[in-house]
Amino acid sequence: MLPHRYPLLLSLALLAPPLHAQDGEQLYALYCSACHAPDGKGATGGAFPPLAGSEWVHGNPKRSVAIVLKGLEGPIDVAGKSYNLAMPPQGAVLGDDQIAAILSYVHSAWGNKGGEVKRDLVRAARSEFESRTEPWTAPELLKILPLEKKPTALANLTSRIYKGQWVQTPDFSKIEAENVEEEHHGMIDTTIAGLNQDFGIVWEGDFMAPVNGEYTFKLDADDGARLILNGHPVAEVKGLGPIGEKRRMSEGKVALKAGANPIRVEYFQGKGNQGISLGWKLAGAKQWKWLSPKNAQSQGAPTIPLLPKEDRTVIYRNFIEGTTPRGIGFGFPGDVNMAYSADNLAPELLWTDGFIDAGRHWTNRGMGFQAPIGENVVTLTAQRFLPPSARFKGYSLDPKGNPTFHVKMEGQLLRDAFAPGPDGTLVRTLQLSGGTSVLEIPLGDNPSVTTEKSVSLAPGKPVTITYKLR
Amino acid sequence: MRPLLFLATLCTAALAQQKQADFYTIDSIPLPPGEVMEIGSIALMPGDKVAVTTRRGDLWICEGAYGDDLTKVKWTRFAHGLHEPLGMYWKDGSLYVTQRPEFSRIQDSDGDGIADVFETINSDWGINGDYHEYAFGTSPDKNGDVWITLCLTGSAGAASDWRGWTVRITPDGKMIPTCSGIRSPGGIGFNAEGDTFYTDNQGLWNGSSSLKWLKPGSFQGNPTGNKYHKLANLPAPPEPTSGSRVLAEHLKFPDYIPPAVVLPHGKVGQSPTAIVPDLGGGKFGPWAGQLYIGEQTHSQVQRVCLEKVNGIYQGAVFHFLEGFQCGIIPAKLDDRGVLFVGGSNRGWGSRGNQPFNFDRVKWNGKTPFEIHTMSAQPDGFTLTFTEPVDPAAAANSASYSMEAWTYILQSGYGSPEVDKATPIVKSATVAADGKSVRLVIEGLVRGHVHHLKAPGVKSASGVTLWHPEAFYTLNEIPR
Repeated sequence: MLPHRYPLLLSLALLAPPLHAQDGEQLYALYCSACHAPDGKGATGGAFPPLAGSEWVHGNPKRSVAIVLKGLEGPIDVAGKSYNLAMPPQGAVLGDDQIAAILSYVHSAWGNKGGEVKRDLVRAARSEFESRTEPWTAPELLKILPLEKKPTALANLTSRIYKGQWVQTPDFSKIEAENVEEEHHGMIDTTIAGLNQDFGIVWEGDFMAPVNGEYTFKLDADDGARLILNGHPVAEVKGLGPIGEKRRMSEGKVALKAGANPIRVEYFQGKGNQGISLGWKLAGAKQWKWLSPKNAQSQGAPTIPLLPKEDRTVIYRNFIEGTTPRGIGFGFPGDVNMAYSADNLAPELLWTDGFIDAGRHWTNRGMGFQAPIGENVVTLTAQRFLPPSARFKGYSLDPKGNPTFHVKMEGQLLRDAFAPGPDGTLVRTLQLSGGTSVLEIPLGDNPSVTTEKSVSLAPGKPVTITYKLR
Repeated sequence: MRPLLFLATLCTAALAQQKQADFYTIDSIPLPPGEVMEIGSIALMPGDKVAVTTRRGDLWICEGAYGDDLTKVKWTRFAHGLHEPLGMYWKDGSLYVTQRPEFSRIQDSDGDGIADVFETINSDWGINGDYHEYAFGTSPDKNGDVWITLCLTGSAGAASDWRGWTVRITPDGKMIPTCSGIRSPGGIGFNAEGDTFYTDNQGLWNGSSSLKWLKPGSFQGNPTGNKYHKLANLPAPPEPTSGSRVLAEHLKFPDYIPPAVVLPHGKVGQSPTAIVPDLGGGKFGPWAGQLYIGEQTHSQVQRVCLEKVNGIYQGAVFHFLEGFQCGIIPAKLDDRGVLFVGGSNRGWGSRGNQPFNFDRVKWNGKTPFEIHTMSAQPDGFTLTFTEPVDPAAAANSASYSMEAWTYILQSGYGSPEVDKATPIVKSATVAADGKSVRLVIEGLVRGHVHHLKAPGVKSASGVTLWHPEAFYTLNEIPR
């Protein structure tokens, strides 16, 4: 009988995997995979955060439980990429058993190396966070359940912060540091400075080489950076510029002895985005190991600058910083740009040096207000001055795409037309029809663009204003 | 002989299994190369043209979308610079578009093929810059009014005027606030009778996503936007008790209209969207007068049959079409029986793996064996079928099973399925023509979703149901 029974038992065992794993995978497919993808890599080619290999899934499972129970929204960095989405809370929908099953699956699938997530842990977390009604934000959650740092190859790391304006990495030995810290986490991270612009950091410590051999280091930074090992320069990113561009990245090879090798990383930040990435690998290895918190810095949304096409004015209707929610942006040929407020029924912003970057609104969920690209934005007026009865009636476009706005008031119609003029000017033509009332229209107080502060508009008598933007 | 017998059995089994491709064909319509076509609304135009708007604010017109050779489609960008439009129709030479901040008429007045008139018909609702303050709009109703449903701020607050309301825009451009209690709509449309419905997503004060009837003057359950009753000089509905049930609150305040059809979270979908009535008289299958509902997360289209009992709409949802490559947002059904669907995966994921899509669905004239309608009876339900049933199988009460549950109405997000019950199918009586079955059921629960499974039912020709289940929301039990 024995020879018969053994295969039978074996096949039964194969047919019935542990209940948890099976349930968890099915529940994951039903409730989670639409966004996080069946393979845990994030749906739609990684438009959503991955769970496979995510540092958020690594370590204490209570963090995952908290997220599933209460949801999470706002900016978050996962596996080196930034996201700004909202995960709805599932606590009211899924029971303790179901959450435990799903997370046991998530923590052990796709190479994740966590263990079973116990139902009791879910139950305890549910009671602990019971009074919470809002989804988590990433910083809030990290305060109570920080990510477990995997130790890096950097030991005895210190940082020195410097302040100054540079266009290339300075000789830090001649400058006094403002601040010195120990960095126990062994990470090269520019955010420790807590500064946005005009600063430098020098990190010093020991690179703990696992074996004797040849090592390759990859350095990238916004702005400049330099890597020195055992006193010798190994890689350098020169001058001002963004991170993530092949032409700026620098790789260097160096032979190291097993054990401590003194390492020094110098970095400076000018204006705008900041960041540094430093990776290493042993000769013959395929995978880079990272000494910086992100290996590919994608700071928020990609850049999608809009420009007039074929000499036709481009329109951007979305939330524009500096005007009201019903803002309408116009990028005229000749790099003359305007935002009109359909709430306040007036042009409110004028600028040059680039129209607008649609990246924020045209990716993810499109959150927030977007500032113009050009930095010298002139605010004409910022309030409503027409009578309460005035209604926005839209706009018409001429063959070049230049707008005439229509505002209807009791018995009168205001036409407010804009077109680019010569030499970086914007020509505005106001026309009132119907009735007899004269309309006073404030133009703001900006002598750099026009010396007129208001116009009196009588029916049938158009008025032209020329704004000088250059 | 044994292998042959085995093969024969296998063939019978294969024949008995119906699948989507036996009845419906989904074709992807090629999109203009290099463009990001995250489709938010669709309008059918004269001359076999179809217009779409994108979430990025473009308005494109497609020629050739009905053609046999879809590689010949031609796209023209008619307008750009619109603010996230989520509703569009064609009337008298203009496209009418519901944009986030306003309802507009868009026209090409000089005939060069590019829009040049963008007339604001109404912009009386508030927006404050929050991305979640979406506005979904209909085509005109029988009075010529356009219905616009306004999502809450961040789907949880009401920071701008009329958030959490549905308004009507009259032909002369006036806004009439019409219903409150909205949370986060995904679509709005009419049923075959011309009454207005919208889909609302599971969340605060919404135990599950559902299809809701926008009876003028009604409250839909989420009290967040009720502070705007004072703008209309209307009394606000009483705030529902958190932790209660929809039925209990409806009985306290009859203008709180319960969801017509709950779309059980997870089991039917997670984010319902478009509402499309079948007015084509059976050109898209034997479903004349029923509704199709888009589903974003599951990339599906569901089918709904409705009835009115004691003055309240209720009915059943059935699984229907699946396998779209993206999360579905808008859909339109042409009177020739062509269903156009569009979608986007941006910001909210779906089972489809494409960032956006524009698809055409056609019926091939073959009738699937399916539950056609499910209607409430004082002591059970009547099922009608698209084809005569096998009387022996359909008369066997063991061919059916039922579960019932409801959801907690609460200020928190969503709800588990609660108050579970197991109604018993006592008998099943097949009509003489074999096309309907009368189920007598013990233990119906008013206010509950009744999940019917009918795996044992076969057609006279021996096939099982394409979708052997239905979810009926029993708001009222007929007397």
